[in-house]
Amino acid sequence: LGDLLNLCTSQQLSFVRQYVDPLLKKDPFTSLPNEICLRILSCIDDPKVLARASQVSYRWRELLSDDVTWMKLCAKHDYGRRMSENHVTTPFSTSRPPPNPIQSNYLDQENEAPHHSFPGATPVVPMMQYNSRSFDSATSSNALLRRPKIRSYKSHFKQRYLVETAWRTGGNHIQKHITQDQGVVTSLHLTPNYIVVALDNAKIHVFNTDGSGQKTLQGHVMGVWAMVPWDDTLVSGGCDRDVRVWDMASGNALHTLRGHTSTVRCLKMSDSSTAISGSRDTTLRVWDIKTGLCKNVLVGHQASVRCLEIKGDIVVSGSYDTTARVWSISEGRCLRTLSGHFSQIYAIAFDGTRIATGSLDTSVRIWDPNNGSCQAILQGHTSLVGQLQMRGNTLVTGGSDGSVRVWSLEKMAPIHRLAAHDNSVTSLQFDDTRVVSGGSDGRVKVWDLKSGQLVRELSTPADAVWRVAFEEEKCVIMASRSNRTIMEVWSFSPPDDALY
Amino acid sequence: MSAPAGQIILLSNDGVQVTVDRLVAERSMLIKNMLEDLGDTALETPVPIPNVNESVLKKVIEWCEHHKNDPPTTVDDDSDSRKKTTDIEEWDQKFMQVDQEMLFEIILASNYLDIKPLLDVGCKTVANMIKGKSPEEIRKTFNITNDFTPEEEEQIRRENEWAEDR
Repeated sequence: LGDLLNLCTSQQLSFVRQYVDPLLKKDPFTSLPNEICLRILSCIDDPKVLARASQVSYRWRELLSDDVTWMKLCAKHDYGRRMSENHVTTPFSTSRPPPNPIQSNYLDQENEAPHHSFPGATPVVPMMQYNSRSFDSATSSNALLRRPKIRSYKSHFKQRYLVETAWRTGGNHIQKHITQDQGVVTSLHLTPNYIVVALDNAKIHVFNTDGSGQKTLQGHVMGVWAMVPWDDTLVSGGCDRDVRVWDMASGNALHTLRGHTSTVRCLKMSDSSTAISGSRDTTLRVWDIKTGLCKNVLVGHQASVRCLEIKGDIVVSGSYDTTARVWSISEGRCLRTLSGHFSQIYAIAFDGTRIATGSLDTSVRIWDPNNGSCQAILQGHTSLVGQLQMRGNTLVTGGSDGSVRVWSLEKMAPIHRLAAHDNSVTSLQFDDTRVVSGGSDGRVKVWDLKSGQLVRELSTPADAVWRVAFEEEKCVIMASRSNRTIMEVWSFSPPDDALY
Repeated sequence: MSAPAGQIILLSNDGVQVTVDRLVAERSMLIKNMLEDLGDTALETPVPIPNVNESVLKKVIEWCEHHKNDPPTTVDDDSDSRKKTTDIEEWDQKFMQVDQEMLFEIILASNYLDIKPLLDVGCKTVANMIKGKSPEEIRKTFNITNDFTPEEEEQIRRENEWAEDR
C-alpha cells in the first residue's frame, strides 16, 4: 500500500485523504459504553458545551438528557446548597420520574445514591412566590403563586443558571419615588411578604415583595432609626423614644411601648412575642409585644447602645462605651463584658459561637461568648467599621474607608480586600455566592464572594446609596437620586415560560 | 518462559507477549490486585490481558512507564481532578495525539485495566474535542450523521437556547 501511495500525485493523495479522513473518525458515544460517555461529559463544566452537544444526534441527545451529568454540574456550580436553603418541600410533591436505564446503570456502577443526598431532587419546589395582587386583605395574603415544579437536575440547573446569568448581566427593575419629603432611609428589610423601609422623616413604608402597593405606617413623630419585622408584625423605634408595634397586613398600630429616655438605636426580636431594643439612654429593654409590657431593663452600658444581636436566650450589645456585653434574656442580667476596643462599637454580629464587633478604632474583634475572651483582632480597615455580617466561617466587613473586606474566621485572616467605594460603605450583605455593597458614592456593586472579583455594578450611579438588601432572585436598593428618595426593585427571576 | 527479576510478562489478546517492570504494570489496579491474589506464581507465567491488543497495550504501558513515580490516587483525588477542569499536562497531551480509534481503545483499556488517571486523561481529551464547537462542528469532528429531522433540530435548538447567551 505504501508503494502504491508513493506513486500517487499530490492531487490523488488529497483525494485519498478526503476519502480516508472520515474513516479515521469515530463517534465516541457509540464506540464507548455509557458509563465512560458520562464520565467524559462530567469533565465538562460549561452548560453551553453540553447544550450544544445535545443537538448533535439522537444518541448524543439521549446521553445529555441523563440527569447525572446535570446533577454533577449542579454540584460544581454550587447550585445544590442554595436550593436547600431557600426552597421548601411541599407535601404534595411526587417522586422523581423513573430514572432511565443509563442512569440506573451508572449509579450502580458508582455505588452512589445521590437522589437522597442531594437536596435539589424533585420533592422540592422553588421558593414560594407570593401573589402580590392578592395582598389587599389579610386572608388572601397567604395565597401562593407556585412556579411549575422543577422535575430534574437539568431544569434545576437551568433555573439556577438563568438566575446567575441575570445577576451578572441582566435583570429587570422598577424604580419608585417613595416619599415627597427628602427622607433619608435608615433601614430596609426584605421578608417573604414585604419590603419594609424606614426613614428619618418618621415614616415607615410597607410594599409588596415586587415593590407594588404602598402602605405608610404613621405614628412616630421623629426619625425612625431601627426596626425589625416578624411575619406580619413590625417593631420600630427612633428619636421619639417610643417603640411601636405594627400589623403590616392591615397597617394598624398595635402598641406603643414607652420607657426609653432617649433615641432607640437598635431593635431585634428573639421570638414572635419578644423584642429587645437598645437606646442612647444606655439601656436595653426586653418587651413583650403581645401585651405591650416591658419585661426587663438591661442596665450596665455607660453610653449609647448602638447595635445588638440575639441568638437563643443570649443577646449581645455593642456600645459607644467601647464595650460589648453578653446578657441572658430570661435572667435579665449581664453575663460578661467584652473590653478591648479603644473606641465606640458600631456593629455587632453573633451566631451563638462567636461574636464579631466593628469599631471606630478601625479594628474588628472576634470574641468567645462563653468566656468573654478576645480570640482575634482583625486589622486592615483604616476608618470606622460600621458594616459587618458573619456566616459560618466567613465574615464580611465594610468601613467608612470605602473598602469591603472578606475574612476567614478559621484562619482569622483576610481573604479579599475589595476597593469597593469612593466613600463610606453604607450597606453590605453576602450569601454563598456574592457580596452586594452600597456606598455613599451612589454605587451598588456585586462581588463574587469566592474570587473577590467585581461582577457588576447594579443600576446607574445615584447621589448616595443608603441601603441595599438582596435575596436569591431579588435586590432592593434605596438611594437618593436628584434629591428624591428612590426605591429600586431588581428581579433576576427567569420568566416562567423559560422553565419547564 | 519466566520473566527476569522485577518484571512480568503480559499477554495481549492477539497473542503477543510484552515484558514490563512490575512497578510499571501495577499502575493498573487490575494487574496489581491480580498479582497480589496470585502471589509469586503469577511471575512464572504470562498474565493474559484478554481485552487489549498489542498496539494498545504497548501504548498503555508507555503511559504507565512515564507515570510510574506518580503518587497513587485516592478516591477523593479522583473526583476532585475531574471536578476541576479539562487541563491536561503537556506530556499527556502529546501522548494522546493519536487517531480516534486508538484514543477510544486507550480509554477502554484504561477502564478495563483500572488505571484511573489515564482514563481521566482520555476522557478529558475527548471532552476537549467537544468544547467550543457548534453541533455541526462536533459532527464533523467525529463523522457523526445528523439523524434529526429539520423540525426536530429546530425544536432542540430552541430548547437549548438558554445556555447560549452569557
